[in-house]
Amino acid sequence: MSKTKRALFAAIVVSLAFCAMARAETQRQKAERIIGEIDDMWRGESSHGVISMRVQTRNYTRTMRMEAWSKGKDYTLVRIVLPLKEKGTATLKTKNEIYTYLPQTDRTIRLNSGMMMGSWMGSHFTNDDLVKESRLLDDYSAEVTFEGVRNGKSIIEFTLLPKPEAAVVWGKVALTVVDGKIPLKETYYDEEMQVARTLDFSAVKDLSGRTVPSVLHMTPADKPDEFTEIIYESIRFNMNLDGSLFSIASLRRK
Amino acid sequence: MILTMAWRNLWRRKRRTLITSSTVAIGLWVAMSFAGIADYSYTKMINTSASMGYGHVSVEPADYINSPTFNKRIADAEGLRDEIMKTEGITHASIKIIGQGMFGTATKAVGGLMLGIDPSRERPTENLFLRSIVEGTPFNNADSREVVVGKKLAEKLNLKIGKKLVYTATDATGNIVSEMARVSAIFKTGEETVDGSTILLPINQLRRTLHYGPRDATLISIFIDDQRQAPRIRTMLQKKLNPAGIDIWTWRETQHELAGTIALDRTLHNLFQLFVWLLVAAGILDAILMSVLERKREMGVMMAIGMSPGALFRLVIIESFLTALLGLGIGILINTPWYWYMSTTGIDLSSMVPEGYGAGGVLVDPVIKIRIYKESVAITTVSFFSLTLLAGLYPAFKASRVPPVESMKTS
Amino acid sequence: MKILSMALRNLGRNRTRTAITVFSMAFAGFIMVLYMAMAEGFSHTLEKNTIGMNLGEVQIHAEGYRSDPDLYKRIENPAAVMEMMRAKGFHCVPRLYGFGLAAFGNSSSGVWLRGVDLVNEPTVTMISGNVLSGSWLENSDPKGVVIGRKLAHTLGLKPGDETVVISQASDGSMANDIYRVRGILKTVGDAIDQSGFFMLDSEFRRLMAVPEGVHEIAMVRGDRTWDLGQATDAAKKALPGLEVKNWKELQPILARLMDLMGVAVSFMMVIAYSAVGMIILNAMLMNVFERIREFGIMKALGVSPWRIFWLINAEALITSVFAGVITLAFGIPSALHFQEKGIDLSAFSPSITLSGMAMDTVFHFRVTPHVLIMPVLFMFALVVIATLYPSIKAAVIRPLEALHHQ
Repeated sequence: MSKTKRALFAAIVVSLAFCAMARAETQRQKAERIIGEIDDMWRGESSHGVISMRVQTRNYTRTMRMEAWSKGKDYTLVRIVLPLKEKGTATLKTKNEIYTYLPQTDRTIRLNSGMMMGSWMGSHFTNDDLVKESRLLDDYSAEVTFEGVRNGKSIIEFTLLPKPEAAVVWGKVALTVVDGKIPLKETYYDEEMQVARTLDFSAVKDLSGRTVPSVLHMTPADKPDEFTEIIYESIRFNMNLDGSLFSIASLRRK
Repeated sequence: MILTMAWRNLWRRKRRTLITSSTVAIGLWVAMSFAGIADYSYTKMINTSASMGYGHVSVEPADYINSPTFNKRIADAEGLRDEIMKTEGITHASIKIIGQGMFGTATKAVGGLMLGIDPSRERPTENLFLRSIVEGTPFNNADSREVVVGKKLAEKLNLKIGKKLVYTATDATGNIVSEMARVSAIFKTGEETVDGSTILLPINQLRRTLHYGPRDATLISIFIDDQRQAPRIRTMLQKKLNPAGIDIWTWRETQHELAGTIALDRTLHNLFQLFVWLLVAAGILDAILMSVLERKREMGVMMAIGMSPGALFRLVIIESFLTALLGLGIGILINTPWYWYMSTTGIDLSSMVPEGYGAGGVLVDPVIKIRIYKESVAITTVSFFSLTLLAGLYPAFKASRVPPVESMKTS
Repeated sequence: MKILSMALRNLGRNRTRTAITVFSMAFAGFIMVLYMAMAEGFSHTLEKNTIGMNLGEVQIHAEGYRSDPDLYKRIENPAAVMEMMRAKGFHCVPRLYGFGLAAFGNSSSGVWLRGVDLVNEPTVTMISGNVLSGSWLENSDPKGVVIGRKLAHTLGLKPGDETVVISQASDGSMANDIYRVRGILKTVGDAIDQSGFFMLDSEFRRLMAVPEGVHEIAMVRGDRTWDLGQATDAAKKALPGLEVKNWKELQPILARLMDLMGVAVSFMMVIAYSAVGMIILNAMLMNVFERIREFGIMKALGVSPWRIFWLINAEALITSVFAGVITLAFGIPSALHFQEKGIDLSAFSPSITLSGMAMDTVFHFRVTPHVLIMPVLFMFALVVIATLYPSIKAAVIRPLEALHHQ
């Protein structure tokens, strides 16, 4: 080939390569964007909401109603309103610590590493889940694995693989999003790629201007007739929340 | 002259002499064997227990032994260790971080003990866990994200080589921290609780996770080749290091249950030995006394022809001494091949001892062997001779007191 | 009985020799009595401390409880079960178990919550008497608790201190309450020491929302001579839907340990008795062979071999009888003394454990008929054996040979 032709050929190859890379970049960026939005779906700069939770296990059925506040990703306060027996029980999460206030004994305990794997309020979520819940992007890298129509809905499926040094027990998380931004299903797999637990999202509503699923239904894979269901009754975003709300002192307020 | 007489007297009663000497020999054999077995077992248990983490002598943060909380550390443990290694009599010293943590996989989470070790400075000889690896290869640098777990723990959490574990602990300032590590090896000590709740981590990685300083540690484990020297070494180190903020303990304090169990065993053992000695002494007394009584007439004659009571006394004493010596001789003949066998091969009781049998928190080795300490041999032999001499005293005394005429009366 | 009187006379003729023989045999017997009392004391203490403190002899659980303990796996009709077992001859106590967290100041620790039936527990175990400091539980003090030694140490608790307990109740809610430490237990075993947290059963039921059912029923036989294996089978047959196991099945390592101890003791017995045997053999041989000329003359005078044989054996027997009497005369009071006082090992260590179970630090001997009779019986047996050869030799020897003997 002549010199010019060779140069042109090279340029075309290189620009095609660039385009391809750019396209791949976009896919990942798209995944991160969408997941980032989901991470913040019930948050925002700050939030205040009323949530009810239903837990069904082999041994008991529980229904609770709670009031919850959050500020950014690091601060969460949850206070139980019903049942009356447990009214005033509160959980405070600040960055890496969790405190629980127990009104019966008027004591605040700081959860230690031994309690992290314990269930939160008798549900199928652990205390550890509470600490880690807003960290999908920190701990996982996401790829789009399917984009198209399924059951008449336009969905995107993401596969999240834990980053090499992320301290998460799961082998893989599969996230299905509908209409480009509403989560539909989140499936957690263990390292053998067996399903460990499934989170189903439903009852999409408009809550204070956001379109969000208001019901989260979690089912453990080894006990299919058990579940924990969280229902967002009402939620407001981005109001002014005083930092002192997220302090140990405020835990004790009823 | 008395010596020859004594010797000949013994051989006049061949059967009796042989039986008595055999009793002495057997007594000696029993005493030495049991002492040897005890010494061997205790030493083995102490060494095994030392290799479970704390060593023969341990350097810990002050009051850690009473209250092992996460915030207690030895600052500049590395420097301290180098100092310690310069001391004579110490074969090895290693640095460890010890802490409680929760270990989780997607299956479940359990609590247990984390041991942060420096693989370049740990050897299987001093580390029970490294000795008991059954699968995989342990990490070989102190910074990797690898972990070595016990077999029972691996089963509980459904772990295999290469799978990940997330450990959660409380760091130096009280915050909860989590980190993941991949299983690179599995160990099995046989002690169920240990195998079900212990993990080994690379020390530098653990230092970072727990926000310790790069030279901090919880413990310096010191190993010596003769566990009986532990108290002496500890005193020496206390003087040399002149520590503020650290405590130095021997295995007796760090493994006090083992110490208690050994004390119990030793007491029973000593009581048994006492009984054996007494029985042997009774046998000797019995024999010598008999022989004296029978020779009353003979001794009367000897005294009549001019032998002094003192000489007679010495005669009997020497007879008993010679009997003992003979017994010793026979004893050595029996014992030497026995000891040789027992100190090398030993008796294997593993079919009788259940697996995982522990006493004082330490796994017991089912193979019985003998280890003789020079001191034990010396003590045993000395007490033996003293006993025989004591046993001979009364008869000798009796012999020297017989008046000549009186003795010739009896037949 | 001519032989007997002759035997006695022979023994009397050489009083000193007889005395020596009798005394050395008696001494050997005495030592053996003490030794057996010691060995018996050891295994008895082991059993008493491990089983009598907490385990009980037989335990009943709901199926699957032991492999995976769970607040919900309960024996649903404990009253009926216990009535049935009592009719069979057991003492029973029901127990409630749970797991939680106790916190004091900045420390917290996992605890094993135990609901105790105060009335029945003392009929099965001795734990109510095993308090190190403070006092045991009281019905009038529902918020009073008793905790294990190491737990107290970890949390820094002393009697009088208050601690928070948190757990998950059976309805899923967070059970939490404040309790005051009434007492701290002495060493019982690893699990109880490190996390034992004892409260009234009524309080447990309230805290953990468990109104009915129990997690474990522990039992001991009312009559200790009833074979444990048979007792266990009887219980198993009567309770088909539940898991019934005796302590040997629950703690196989401990059971093997006891067996091993038994073997070790027997081994030592053999050795010791061999030593004793030597002494007796020595004595018997001397007794006969020194008088061989005498026997030769007797035979020459027409005494039959049989009579010589029996004469010698009669002498031996009488000697043993005397020795036996002396053995017991000294042995019984000495052994009893050590049974009372025991040997104190606490100078070496505050706690001693074997296979996770604690041993009392004062080591008591134990006197049973077995301990007293065995050494004496053995002595007789050894005497008989030891006398065989010399008595036969003396019986068959030809008079001329005898006169020239030695």
